[in-house]
Amino acid sequence: MKEKFARWDTLFIQYVKRDWKKIIIWVLGLGLFSAGFVPAFKEIAKGQGLLGMFETLQNPAMISMVGPTPIETATDYTLGAMYAHEMLLFCSLFAMILAVLHVIGHTRKEEELGLTELVRSFQIGRQANSLASIIEIVFINVWLALLIGVVMISFGAETISAEGAFLFGASVGMAGLIGAAIALVMAQIMPTSSGATASALGIIGLLYIVRAGTDVANVNFSMINPLGWTYLTYPFTENNWLPLIFALIFSSILVIIAFALEGARDMGAGYLPTREGRESAKKSLLSVRGLFIKMNKGTIISWMVAFVVMGAAYGSIYGDMQTFLESNEMMKQMFSHSGFSIEESFTGTIMMVMIGLVSILPIAIVNKLFSEENRSHLSQLFATKVTRSKLYWTSIGIAITVSLIGIFFAAGSLGGTAVAAMGDRSTMNVTDFLIAGYNFLPTVLFLTGLAALALGWAPKLGKVVYVYLAYSFLLNYFGGILDLPEWFFKTAIQSWIPQMPMEDFDASIFIILTSISIMLIVIGYLGYRRRDMMEGA
Amino acid sequence: MTQVVKVQGLQKRFGKFLALSDVTFTVEAGEVVGFIGPNGAGKSTTIRTLLGIIKRDAGSAEIFGKDVWKDSIEIHKRISYVPGDVTLWGNLTGGEIIDLFIKLHGAGDKEKRDYLIKRFELDPKKKAKGYSKGNRQKVGLIAALSVDSDLYIFDEPTSGLDPLMEHIFQEEVEKIKESGKSILLSSHILSEVERLADKVVIIRQGEIVETGTLDELRHLTRSTVTLETEGDVAKMATENGVHDFTQKDNQATFSADNQQMNDILLQATKLGVKKFEAVPPTLDDLFMRHYEG
Repeated sequence: MKEKFARWDTLFIQYVKRDWKKIIIWVLGLGLFSAGFVPAFKEIAKGQGLLGMFETLQNPAMISMVGPTPIETATDYTLGAMYAHEMLLFCSLFAMILAVLHVIGHTRKEEELGLTELVRSFQIGRQANSLASIIEIVFINVWLALLIGVVMISFGAETISAEGAFLFGASVGMAGLIGAAIALVMAQIMPTSSGATASALGIIGLLYIVRAGTDVANVNFSMINPLGWTYLTYPFTENNWLPLIFALIFSSILVIIAFALEGARDMGAGYLPTREGRESAKKSLLSVRGLFIKMNKGTIISWMVAFVVMGAAYGSIYGDMQTFLESNEMMKQMFSHSGFSIEESFTGTIMMVMIGLVSILPIAIVNKLFSEENRSHLSQLFATKVTRSKLYWTSIGIAITVSLIGIFFAAGSLGGTAVAAMGDRSTMNVTDFLIAGYNFLPTVLFLTGLAALALGWAPKLGKVVYVYLAYSFLLNYFGGILDLPEWFFKTAIQSWIPQMPMEDFDASIFIILTSISIMLIVIGYLGYRRRDMMEGA
Repeated sequence: MTQVVKVQGLQKRFGKFLALSDVTFTVEAGEVVGFIGPNGAGKSTTIRTLLGIIKRDAGSAEIFGKDVWKDSIEIHKRISYVPGDVTLWGNLTGGEIIDLFIKLHGAGDKEKRDYLIKRFELDPKKKAKGYSKGNRQKVGLIAALSVDSDLYIFDEPTSGLDPLMEHIFQEEVEKIKESGKSILLSSHILSEVERLADKVVIIRQGEIVETGTLDELRHLTRSTVTLETEGDVAKMATENGVHDFTQKDNQATFSADNQQMNDILLQATKLGVKKFEAVPPTLDDLFMRHYEG
């Protein structure tokens, strides 16, 4: 036994040394994200805010997204209750995902890279690496839990008790351990590290969806869901530590199973056989377009699903929006524009947000061309009769096509659900939503153009386009409640577009922005055509 | 003979770093040219310039009489290329990738593809992320060898291949050579170049330092001689053209200038030769001569 884990402590110290920057960012980033919104929630809670939020979150669609609350009457809904209700599930999810990526990165991935082989040739136990990784995850999540607790208490909010704060932190930390344990098991079973990552994340996704169903139908069933053991602790209300004990036992069992599986397998092998692929290519793959679509398929499909789900989630709020907005001063300020129904006002804002998210997809597709170039995937293609212009315009073509489809899904799903939720009271139909969505098309094209410009002239800056998008997004989202000068607003591209259906369609702005975007794309092409390809740079 | 590749005073800079300072060489039709040099000498940079992946800063470079940057697509229709480190899309199988490359090249041969897959013992149904370095290299090689081209450019093509596969590769290249195609073979595995190349181009720090046939280059260098005589072999040490002389009893080992070989032999016979062995310089010796001094 001892021999198997020999010198795990050396590896553990090595890992902490190697990862310390990552650990600090992880603990601080997730810790502050989890605990730092207390002041913002205090704002929301003012006046009738708590009541309004309580009502809103009774909506099954919202419960399926953020989870349930044990509170039954609005008057008992305190700031702490609301904070745990809205934040805990998401923070737990983040903690799980980070843990999955980290554990697989240190175990299966290192096996694949050949690092494990080297390490094992020294006086290191066969399973010391896995033990060290798990201990590191425990170490990280304990710090995370403590930090969250301390930061929450530091805000001195009345209903945020010390016990609740530490329970909140412990729940997030425990989520990390569950994620790590799932990841460690999958790392043994799956044939490759990417397979392990995908399946572990898939399991978490599945747990999330299952809990969405059980939370709405009967919350007791969520108690048999490992993901449920995080938010069902109900910090600040019931302060129930019991689920964490379940989680601890569950994770320990998984880790023991993982060790047993690892002990019985060869390095680099899994338990599932590698799936055989095609012996020769399908016709649809045999072109630049076919290849690029295949390369981006996963991203495109998952984002399309996300657009539909988001549209449906926001759309379902339309039913009881009136109650909610009336009760909340801050939200009211954000959404109210005089002379229009609250639903129409909401549509203008939410559409801007949704189409902002749709922009991520074309940016990702344009950036992908550079990342492929950089990874030398295209070396052999460059030496064929495939022209650079073909590579460039195929990418741009796919990016624009998915933008059009993405807007359709986002706006259509929002509209469809909203119209259904409002029933007879509806003043809008699905076409109004689609028009409001396509109204923002120039902003998507503009961002695609920026990415294309970067691709042609300074491809390493491609990621900066996301930063600009995030900036515009925040400005639009929170801009309404801050008193900002007009010109400052206009630095966000979406601000140039009138918000339909409250404002009228502005053809000249639509055409001008579209033309600018096309120009950016063409300028990008001129650069792409003549610059050096950067392989492995 | 017509020149398939003609490079004259090629220069390439990356920022302040001068990667290629003066590259000049030619590849004639039907010729196999070995392009040798250590890591970082500029082999891959030269090849990428030839493929129009990067743009030269000075000099001229032509393939089939066309400019490698401006007419790259015309050129690409008639060439095949295998990079030194073949990287592949992890979610496609080897078979799919080979088909894709063949299709994008244009002049593919399905039978040749299947034959080569068998010959190189590649499992085409496996996803590329599961391939070892050698297997990835095989995918690149099979794709390049399955198509009909006039010029084949291989950048350290056998890195990661086992000796058996290396041998198969050499046989396949010989077939191409026999059918009159031109080949530019960059390598630091000298035995490979020695076996296949008609001509050798040696690059060092971005500059071509030697060009010529193997015989020509050998002539410039020294053979290793082991000599045992009845008389005092030490007398040989002072002969013209004898270098690096070492002696053990009556046996001496030294390197001899090939031009002085006749004089050395005459002197040796005076001492009464018991044993004489001369080993011609290998490419390694040629190579080391340029890199040690």
